[in-house]
Amino acid sequence: MAVRVVPFGEAALLVELEQRIDPAVAARAAAIADRWEALGHGPAVPTYASALLRYDPLVLDASAAEAAARAILDAPAAPLAGRLIEIPTRYHGPDLDDVARLSGMSPREVVSAHTSREHLAYFLGFMPGFAYCGGLDPRIVAPRLRSPRTRVPAGSVGLVDGQTAVYPAASPGGWRLIGTTDVVVFDARRDPPALIHPGDRVRFVEVRMAGGVPPAKSR
Amino acid sequence: MTLHVIEAGLRSTIQDAGRTGHLRSAIPAAGPADGVAFEAAQRLVGNDPGDAAVEIVGLPFRFTLDAPRLVAVTGRDVRLRTRGSIPAWTAAFVRAGEDVTVEGGERSRFSYLAVSGGIAVEPVLGSRATYLPAAIGPLPRALAPGDALPLGPARRGADGAGHAALRSDDSEILVLRGPHADRIAGADALLRGRPYRVSERSDRMGVRLEGPALDAGGTEILSIGVLPGAVQVPHGGEPIVLLADGQTTGGYPVVASVVAVDLGRVAQAVPGEALSFYEVDRAAALEALRVVRRWLERL
Repeated sequence: MAVRVVPFGEAALLVELEQRIDPAVAARAAAIADRWEALGHGPAVPTYASALLRYDPLVLDASAAEAAARAILDAPAAPLAGRLIEIPTRYHGPDLDDVARLSGMSPREVVSAHTSREHLAYFLGFMPGFAYCGGLDPRIVAPRLRSPRTRVPAGSVGLVDGQTAVYPAASPGGWRLIGTTDVVVFDARRDPPALIHPGDRVRFVEVRMAGGVPPAKSR
Repeated sequence: MTLHVIEAGLRSTIQDAGRTGHLRSAIPAAGPADGVAFEAAQRLVGNDPGDAAVEIVGLPFRFTLDAPRLVAVTGRDVRLRTRGSIPAWTAAFVRAGEDVTVEGGERSRFSYLAVSGGIAVEPVLGSRATYLPAAIGPLPRALAPGDALPLGPARRGADGAGHAALRSDDSEILVLRGPHADRIAGADALLRGRPYRVSERSDRMGVRLEGPALDAGGTEILSIGVLPGAVQVPHGGEPIVLLADGQTTGGYPVVASVVAVDLGRVAQAVPGEALSFYEVDRAAALEALRVVRRWLERL
């Protein structure tokens, strides 16, 4: 697919790249967003394969904004890179057995697949501090829930369609929940407030539960 | 100098122009649901548009000031009551200790109380705006009786009283064609004024619309960055207009974007009220923006 630059309201452009989850495509989206912000036109929001570029239409007219966006489509893109972050996780989520069944694996094999690799954080979205992490073991089959839960507890570790994430706060959600963590992935009083940033590698580490009984949650 | 809250309404918060510095951490900008009403109130009392004011949800809101100040209330179906009744969109001089009530009727939703000098709380993450869902902001909760809000130095005195502005109340909303309109069945009818009703389940995150469902083919898209004004089409097909607390990214196709100066009218519509959207081009959207900016800057 060709790169598309389309208006999004009178004060933003949407750059759509190849529509797939791929570290190189996400790195390109992030580089475009970085360049746009460096030009001082306004804030930008990159995702897996797009970048929303905001501007003030009273300062920059539509054609000048499009020209400025097209001029940075091929900005040099360094690979997404960051820190290694470990997330101690108790694998007692309500959907673990379903995910195992859908994947043709045992629950232990799902846990092993989830803990045996690093997951790349692509971007933050959905709610403050929610990091979309890719690179899930391709054997894991986890389609979105048909009807989303009205309340997913804070600290839930979820999966959907090749992605995994930690819910920073309680919210409605349609991801399959396989575990929980006590790690606080978002705290507005912290600087920076989000724990996981694009480019970070997230490794889930199993916390064994004595007797199979989940310990009381600390929050 | 302090504003003392006596009655706080239901979900009133401190808001400024919004927090756009942390969108990439998925922190919504927040800020006023009705940006035009907010800025008009600020300008009527001599404040900068970036100063903080109170967004009132659920009237009445009652307060006193411990020093005389110029104040203004804007919104829909709202007024100030002190010794007498003072219409909204009008600057009024309030004496120290005077008991003031912001009151309104059934058509009010978001009202703005600006006090000359602004609410001078310390910014958090670069802004004084309140984002309630994640408790972000200098006072990260709904205001409560007994709250004492610090005020900055007055910007305009008693001679500003009586200065008035007025905004027309209009259910015709201008929109621009959205990035995915071409793949959504029913998009053209929405863009040509087919009416939708405002749902009960609307809040500062978004206004849900009820009416003929649109069909985006049942597929989600890979998440994109979104912004207030975006009209998303979720699975059920009933559109949602994102407001100030809307998510920073979304996986639903976007059929339209409400022009910035009309978004406040969408926010102010009460449940059951009808709204019609009309597609305009970017030149017309920009002209609408210029007209409102010129009007605001004269206040």
